[in-house]
Order: sequence, then C-alpha cells, then structure tokens
Amino acid sequence: MNGIEQALTTGIEGGTVILFPALGELIGERSGVVNLGTEGCMLAGALGAYAVGATTGSAWIGVLGGLAAGAVLGLAHAWMVVRRRADQLASGLVLWFLAVGITSVLGTSFVSRTVAPLPVVRLPGLGSIPWLGTILFDHDPLVYVSYALVPVVWWVLFRTRVGLVLRATGERPEVVAVAGRRPDLVQLAAVTLGGALGGLGGAQLSVGYVDNWFDNMTNGYGFIAVAVVLFAAWRPLWVLVGSYMFGVALAAASVLQAHNISVNQYLLDSLPYLVTLVALIVFARRGGARTPEGLARALNNTT
Amino acid sequence: MHQAPAVARVIPPRRRKRVAVVGTLAVFATIALAACGSSSTSTAGSGSSGSSGGEPWAGAKTVGFIMVGEESDQGYNQAVYEASQQVKKDLGVNTLLAANVPETQQVTTVMQQMVDAGAKIIFATSFGYQQYAYAFAKSHPDVLILHQGGTYTGGKFPPNLGTYFGEAYDPVAMGGMAAGAVTKTNKLGFVYAFPIPQTVDNVDAFELGAQKIDPKAVTYTVATSEWCDPLKQKTAATALLSAGSDVLTQHQDCQSTVIEAAKAAGAYVVGYHFNASDLYPSGWLTGSVWNWAPLYESIIKTAQAGKFTGSQYNANFIGTFASGNNPLTLAPFGPAVPASVQPKILAEEAKLKAGGTIFTGPIYCNNGKVLVAAGQVATPAQINQFTCFVKGVVAAS
Amino acid sequence: MSQTAPIGEPPRATGESAASFAARLAARIDPADVTRRLTSASGWRRLLVALGAYAACLALFSFVVWTQGASPTGVYSSIYHSAITDPGSIAQIFERAVPFVLAALAVTVPARAGLVNVGGEGQLIIGAIAATWVALYLVGPGVPAPLALVLMGVGAMMAGALWAGLAAFLRVTMNANEAVTTLLMNFVANDILLYLLYQPWKDPTGTGQPESMPFGANATLPQVFGNLGVVVALAVAAIVVLVLTKTGWGFALRVVGGNQEAARRAGLPVKRLLVSSMAAGGSLAGLGGMLYLAGTQTQLLPGATATFGYTAFLASFLGRNQPVKVIFAAILFAAIAISAPGLQLVYGLDGNVVDILLALVVVAPLALSGSRRSAY
Repeated sequence: MNGIEQALTTGIEGGTVILFPALGELIGERSGVVNLGTEGCMLAGALGAYAVGATTGSAWIGVLGGLAAGAVLGLAHAWMVVRRRADQLASGLVLWFLAVGITSVLGTSFVSRTVAPLPVVRLPGLGSIPWLGTILFDHDPLVYVSYALVPVVWWVLFRTRVGLVLRATGERPEVVAVAGRRPDLVQLAAVTLGGALGGLGGAQLSVGYVDNWFDNMTNGYGFIAVAVVLFAAWRPLWVLVGSYMFGVALAAASVLQAHNISVNQYLLDSLPYLVTLVALIVFARRGGARTPEGLARALNNTT
Repeated sequence: MHQAPAVARVIPPRRRKRVAVVGTLAVFATIALAACGSSSTSTAGSGSSGSSGGEPWAGAKTVGFIMVGEESDQGYNQAVYEASQQVKKDLGVNTLLAANVPETQQVTTVMQQMVDAGAKIIFATSFGYQQYAYAFAKSHPDVLILHQGGTYTGGKFPPNLGTYFGEAYDPVAMGGMAAGAVTKTNKLGFVYAFPIPQTVDNVDAFELGAQKIDPKAVTYTVATSEWCDPLKQKTAATALLSAGSDVLTQHQDCQSTVIEAAKAAGAYVVGYHFNASDLYPSGWLTGSVWNWAPLYESIIKTAQAGKFTGSQYNANFIGTFASGNNPLTLAPFGPAVPASVQPKILAEEAKLKAGGTIFTGPIYCNNGKVLVAAGQVATPAQINQFTCFVKGVVAAS
Repeated sequence: MSQTAPIGEPPRATGESAASFAARLAARIDPADVTRRLTSASGWRRLLVALGAYAACLALFSFVVWTQGASPTGVYSSIYHSAITDPGSIAQIFERAVPFVLAALAVTVPARAGLVNVGGEGQLIIGAIAATWVALYLVGPGVPAPLALVLMGVGAMMAGALWAGLAAFLRVTMNANEAVTTLLMNFVANDILLYLLYQPWKDPTGTGQPESMPFGANATLPQVFGNLGVVVALAVAAIVVLVLTKTGWGFALRVVGGNQEAARRAGLPVKRLLVSSMAAGGSLAGLGGMLYLAGTQTQLLPGATATFGYTAFLASFLGRNQPVKVIFAAILFAAIAISAPGLQLVYGLDGNVVDILLALVVVAPLALSGSRRSAY
C-alpha cells in the first residue's frame, strides 16, 4: 500500500491506543473528575495484559487483566478524590508515579516473556472495500471494539438517564444530591470505568499492537489522551478525531522517513505534540463554554 | 447550607498543618528507628594498596557494573548483565550491579556508592557516562574505572582509566550479507534512534555487507528519536515493511518489538546486541551479539595482577576480529539462511579475522562524497567519526 | 483568657516583623488551653489518624520492598544513612534540591493565582538551553566568570518566563487549559534540546555524541558552601516567599486565585496577573535548570533533568502550595531521590522503587486532607 494508506492504517492502530483512555477520561471528566493518572492506568493495563497473557497463554484473558489493572488504579484515584476530597491533579500525578514504580518493579520478569498477540482480523465484506477496507477493517478486534464504543458512549451519555445523571453530576453535583441520587457513587463509578478504559488502551498497546512489554512503554501517551479530551470539548466523536489525528501524526513520522521524504527527525518527533497543541488552542476557545461546571471548579481550585 | 456527608467533615486547616508536619516527622522517625535497629550499610574504607603489584586495585575482589537500561532488556544491557554473572562465576569476584542509571550526574553517585561498598574496579558500560567516568577516575586514583564505548581524548591516560569497545560494525556487515542473501524485494529496513557515529557505522556496514551478496540491495531507514519506545518502533517497522522491506534490523536498546513486527509480517530479522532468536526462530537470520565476558575477565585479571597501568587496556582499546578479541560476535545462523550462503559469510569473517574491515575503499556516501578512498582501509578511529550514510542507504546524509 | 486570633495564624501581610508576631503569639498562649488542645480526645484521634495513614503507606512500601527480596529495615536504614549521616550524600542532596526547589516553586507561584503549571520539566530544559547559548555563543569563555554566570542566569530566567508565559497567554486569550498545554510543551522542549545537541550545537571536536561544546571555566559555578547554586537557590526561594506573602503582587495573586470574578470586579488586572504569575514560575524553573547545569555539568547533555519537573510538582503538592513547606518538601524529595542508587546497589532493588516511595509519601497527606470547598 502506498504511504498515505500506511500512515492512515497505522494511525488508526496507534490512535486506538489513545482512543480508549481518552473515552475513559471523557466519562470521568463528564462526571466532574479529571484523572492525570490516566498514563498510570494505561501502564498498569499494558503490564496487566501482558503479564496475564503470558501467564495464561491467552491474549484475550490478558485484555481482561489489563482492564482490571486499570480499573484498580482508577478506583484508587476515585476514592482519593471523592471520599478523601484530595486535589484531583495531584492525586492523578501521584498515582502515575506509583504506577511507573510498581509496573517497573513487577514487569522486569516479563520483558523476555512472549505472548501471542491479538489476531489481526480482516472483516469479511467490509474489509474488501478498496482503500477504505484496508485502512479501517484490517486490524485486531480491539480496534473494532473502539469503533463501536464511540457511538455507544455518545448514546449512553446523551440519550439515557444514566448519562444524564452522569453529566449532571459533572455540572452540579449538589443538585443531583438534592434530587436523591448519590453523586459520589456516580463519580466513583465513572472514574473507575475511566481507569478500566485506560487499562484497555494499555492492553491494546502491549498485546494488540506492539506485542511487547517494556519499562514505561506508554511514554506519555496517557497525557495525550487527557489533552485530546480537552481538545474534543468532551464530545465522543471529537475524541475519536483527536486520537486518530495524534496517531496519524505519529505514523507520519515513520512513513515519511521510510519513503525518503527528508524532514528533520526532531521536528517529526515533536509533530504529534505540536499538532495536539495547535488543535487544542484552536478548539479550546469554542469549547470553553462547554466545560462541565464541576470540572471547571476542580481544575481552577488548586489550593 | 448543605448537609455535608460525614466523610467530608474535613480536618480543619490548622490541624492539617500540624498533621502534615507530624506525619513527615513520623516518617523520618520510623526511618531513624529502623536505622538504629539494624546494621548500617558497609562502609569499606578507601583502601590502601597493600598488595604485590603496587596498584591499589591489585587483588581486587569486588567489581561494579553500571548499566544505563534494564538488565532484562533482551539487548545491550542484558548482554552486560549476563557477562557480569559469567565473570562472577568464572573469577569468583563479588559483583555490584546498578541498572537504569541515567547518563547524568547520578552515575557519579552510583560510582561513589560502589566504592563505599568495596568496589575497586568499576565498569561504566554506557557511552554517555563518559565525562563522569573520566572525572571520577581523576578524583579517585585508587579505583580502576573502565569506560565502555568511550574514547579518551584528554592526552595522557590516567593510570587508573581505560576505555574499551569492539568492532560492532563488522558482524553487522555479516548480518547484512545474510539479509542480502534472503531478500526478495532487494529492500532492507533499519530502525534506529539517532544518527550517532556508532549507528551510522552499523547502517553503512549492513548495507555494504548486503551489497556483497546482492548488489541491488537498498536499505531504508527510520529514526525513532528514542532508544526504546515500543509504539514508535512498531510504527517504524510497519512503515518499512509496507515500503517493501522484507528484512528488518535495528540499532535500539531493545529489539523485541521489531522482531515481533517482522514475525507478524512474515519478514526476516537480523538481531543486535543479544541473541533473541527464540522469539522468532524461523525468521531470525543471524545477529551481532555481545560476548563481553572474555574481555571483562581479561581486564579484571590484568588488574588483579597489578599490571593494568601501561597495559593495552590502559588506553582506548578496541577489540578486533583481527586480534581475536572482538567482544561482538556473530550469532548462529537461523534456518532461513541458505546453506549456500553461509560459507561465503564465514569466509568474510575469516577475512576480517585476518585484519580486514568492511570499510575498505572505495566507498561513497549517498550524497556523492567519498567516504573511503580507493585502496584505503579506514581505521577504527576514522570509522568512529563517520557521519554519512553510504550509497544504497535511503536516508538523508 | 480570650483569644481574638487563633494560635498559629500566619503573620498578616502588613509588614509585621517576626519579633512582633512572636510577641503577639506569646501573649495569646494560655498554657492551660494548649494542654487542653494537645490532650483533647479529638486532637489525639486526629493525630492517630494521621500517623495511621503514614504508617499504612510505610507498610505498603515495606511490603513492596519485601516482595523484591530486600529487607525493609535495611532499605530505610540506607535511606537514612544517605540522607542524614553521609556527608557526600548530603552535598548531593543539596545539589539535587536546587532544581527541585526552584521547579517546585515554579508550580507554587502560579498556583497562587489558580493556574496549574505542569511544565516544570520543559522549563528546566529551556533554562538550561538558554544558559548554554549565553555561555557558548553570546559571551564565550573570555568573559569573566561572575558576569558570565549572571548573564546565564538572566538568560535562563527570561527563556523560562517566555516558555511558561506562552502557556498562560494561550490560557487567557484562547482559554486553552494551561495544565495540558504546559504538559505538551514539555515534550516539545525535549525535542528542541535533542535537535540542538544532535545538529547545530553538537560539539564539532567531540565524539559525535549529542553534547554541546564544553563550557569554559567561567560558566561553572564555584564551589562555595558546596556549590554556589545551592546558596543562590535558597536565596531565591527566600525572596519568593517574601514576594508571595509580603508584596501587593503576591496578595493580588491570591485574590485572583480565590475568585477570578471578584478580583476582576475589584479592579485587579486579572489577565496580566495570570500571565505574570506563570511567567514568574517559568523563570524560577529556568533558573533552576541553569544552576543545575552550571553547578554539576560541564556541557549541555540530553536528559540531565529528566523527571525533575514532575517530582517537583509532587513536592509542591506535598507542601500544600505554601512556599516554605514546598521548599522543605522539595529537599525531602531530593533526599529520597539521592538514596535511590544506593538502594539498587546494596539491596538489588529496581531503581524505580523509589518512585513508589515518593508517591506514597504524597499519598498519605492527600488521603488525609481535603479541599476547603466541598462540592455537595
């Protein structure tokens, strides 16, 4: 396939790694809690998936392990923020540090183990569409899960009662409390779910895409997921756009080089981050009004 | 006025301050109590020599190894680690290991702590430790510092310093020959981090080796700007594969991702640093693997005998095929390497052992300049300064 | 005896002297009252809860250490030894504390105004880059040391201010969340560093590795009280404390941080205050990068200050964003960080184990405290 196709295809695979944690962070932030520890949830998920996969011999059980690992970290953050009323940003970063330390220590014995990765499945019918078929429908199953997840998240958020309560918790938790619901439980559930999705992104990375575990392998991509949610102004479709944009920018760096298009290597390396920055700046203006109020309060009150 | 949930009855500000202060004191109190209760870490005095050779490290029983990455990285650092264990077994010395030590001032701390724990010989095994290793050698004349990969250019060598490395590029060239033999598309792929001279040497050697078997072979390259970021490695590998490469190799600190990517695509792979053939037995062609133990042991034995200063190791030592002590060796051939090609490769190895090098002129850069003139043979010193990619390598020079 | 001001209230921002504050304090202490507070049931209970939280975290760390086959008491003893009793280590702790303290204050100053600066990593790098440029390309080795160093410091501060100020500017004009923009800019700063060291600034007489030309002797901090950088950093930190607590600007930042809308109505130039607070923070981190470079390195190298910024962010949180406490927290973190190689060496622990300890040290107060504002 030609370079553009390759960049788009790889962009989707890499972008899915960002898409899962970004969707999770969207859910959490919609409930009023920001989780800077998404990076930690991803790392935990990556190691969890790889370790469980290597031990059980099945990448799919590994994926479940990754989900669980991410959920545990998400729950810890949720508990700190909701029950102990800790500062959200600090709690997230602290859990990231913890995750880096723990996965590094626990992961050393898994660096040399192997896991058969998730199979690449070309969807029958859809996969035969020229050009689009290869780009969209020739990936590992988690990518297809992510395709489905975006509209599901949208529908639940905007068309169901559960989603309404969630969004209301992010805007005015006191109102939700007065209405007889438990905003603290909503937030706990939302952030734990967010952590689980972060773990799923890590699982996609370690057993879906690169089939490897290495120390600190998420290398900051979890923070990108948080940035994408902001760029997307908490709308699921735009989260998809942002994640893929980052993935394609990352892939472009390799594809350009492999086709001998000479671009400064360091500029290419910073391209994904610059692209995200620019997108954030361009879209933040409009999105500012959409910030869930509870989240705005949390982000602005740091002392 | 809202009815705050019970758990939100926060500790008022003043208490919090007190609590934080008390808490921090509590942490230190615990640590202090633990310190009083247990034996302290050993503090070996900075020893006087008191031994036959007159050199302070003669008869040394403790050797330190400092690694820049994970000791289980299936790559560069694991090679060091395994060699250290071999040394421990063969020579019976006590080995101190420090891994994941970044190339910053921290390495000085680590060296000091190794000395405090009794080490008289320290191997600093990453290039970037250079300035710290040399400074430490100057300030600690009773400790022997060996720097892996460096080149000391400060004039006269201090009596307690040595640098050492091998001719990495020659086995890489042989790997290139194997790649040239099996490639059907005539396109090879090379993933690397930064265009430092060692990497440039490896890429060039790989391509030149491939050209010996397949004159039409071309090497495509992708720089990831990271020494081990699996996502970027995978992206680089897939880009190379989709651009047509059917043999991959890399100069990274960890190689599993690239090997797995080749495996997933059914392409071949040539390894580096470490024999990881069990990851992909059918597609592993060969690799350049470090075998540091013989060199380490030779250096240690020389030092223990008190004969280090003035020896061949008290210099910028390069192990070569010709001298028989190149620490980088060729891994065994995988099943994919045709039997007809193996003798050719081994013949090349024999030539190298007789003193040749792959960088024998004429060799041209891919921008037309002359790298090695006709009739000339590049010296290791010159090779370590190469900055251009040779003709046949697809990359900006 | 009645009290009109609670014991322990910080000096008001009215230029009150320490002596008068102490006198005021002493006049208000009623020994019976103090005894009652210290022995009251709820006081003891809260203390126990606090100790319990710390004990839990220490226990967790001990467990992690034990699973790795090392002895927890030995590990703590090693940390203690390196932090308290080993003079070589103590010097290194203070050297490491220089970028930590300044980067932590770089978080604290904007936090006063309600801004979140996660860009310490990048600002340290940008400061080091600017200092290198001044030392090698602007002044060169011929200029006498004091002048060269001062210019390096000024350049680093200006560069750090611009880098951070940019994020604040984007926040006030485009409403781009500064926590995320500063975070993304960290990656960009690192790429700029790599580009410079691999291309234009690569030492032409070196070995082809990413390093700048070595600095002249005029660009190295002299060894005064260990390292002049430590003295400078502590002096700057003291100035920051004074500025934040005693000046009108510092007070205005607090007003903005408390309620932007109220500050605006009160006539304060909110946008300028926000940008200036961030710029001030960036300049502190930039200075930290320069001092670390000039104090411990002989040339610019990649990765020299990696993770310092994030650790400093944690320290500023541990110190509750109050400058004096932040400074102590940063020094504590430096002590823990310096002990890491020893743990690895003697106990065979993975170097990242110390990250766990750092995180746990912060988790305890996080779990104990809470924001004054309860949402519901």
